[in-house]
Amino acid sequence: MSPAGWTLDVALVTLILGLAWRLLWTRNLFEAVVLFVAFGLTLSLAWVRLGATDLALAEAAVGAGLTGALFMHARQRLAEKLAERAEEEVDG
Amino acid sequence: MAEAYMALAAFLVVNVGAGLWRVARGPTPADRMLAAQLFGSTGVAVLLLLAEAADAPALRDVALVFALLAVVAGIAFVKLGWSQDPLAEDDHAD
Amino acid sequence: MPISTWLSIPLLLAGAFFFLGGTIGMLRFPDVYTRLHALTKADNLGLGLITGALVLEADGWAVRAKLLLIWILVLAATATLCHIVARAALERGIRPWRRP
Repeated sequence: MSPAGWTLDVALVTLILGLAWRLLWTRNLFEAVVLFVAFGLTLSLAWVRLGATDLALAEAAVGAGLTGALFMHARQRLAEKLAERAEEEVDG
Repeated sequence: MAEAYMALAAFLVVNVGAGLWRVARGPTPADRMLAAQLFGSTGVAVLLLLAEAADAPALRDVALVFALLAVVAGIAFVKLGWSQDPLAEDDHAD
Repeated sequence: MPISTWLSIPLLLAGAFFFLGGTIGMLRFPDVYTRLHALTKADNLGLGLITGALVLEADGWAVRAKLLLIWILVLAATATLCHIVARAALERGIRPWRRP
């Protein structure tokens, strides 16, 4: 394998492991969602390097885009519910 | 020339990996989102370079999906994910 | 080497420079609005220069047209998105950074 290709693969693997580690351990939910989107994009590039272009397409569209938007919406709903509950406790 | 394209693609991936530090630092949700946007457009450049280097035209379609996805994620963020009254941890973490 | 290769190498280097500048700006600039500025430079100019180099090297007009269309899509998308994000940030009361 060419040196440049090797560097690219090592960078992708490092990035995937680092992103996974950080997104599992962070306490900030929004950061976890953004890291998940970045993780999906990196994984898609890794599929491209492995020669699975169709998987890369699916991962980019569903894994990063759609799931990322859904997670973002879910986190928003969670925040609203928590705010409502806190208000009820104050009133009651 | 293919080797030069690969080298440039590797440089761009390392580059954007450094840029992702901004996701961890914040401080506002928009800052984290912008780093992901940078990742998306760099990904388009990387895929176009790989398509030329590996002679795989299908990769240009993946690049198109990356470009579209950045918009979808960004608009979902502004419309659905960035509340006026977010979880308290979000704006003050780190 | 053909003349197109000699032309495309400086374009590739310039594109890499703008992506590097975008990352450094993303890390060093002080607030959302200045970081938007760094992001759009990397998106538009970095990707544009790299696409330009690839257009010179590509074989066939269909491929060239596709590359240009991808770039135009990214241009329109990021310009719109940056406008939306900046306006949303203003509405949420984030003040633009001033030199202290």
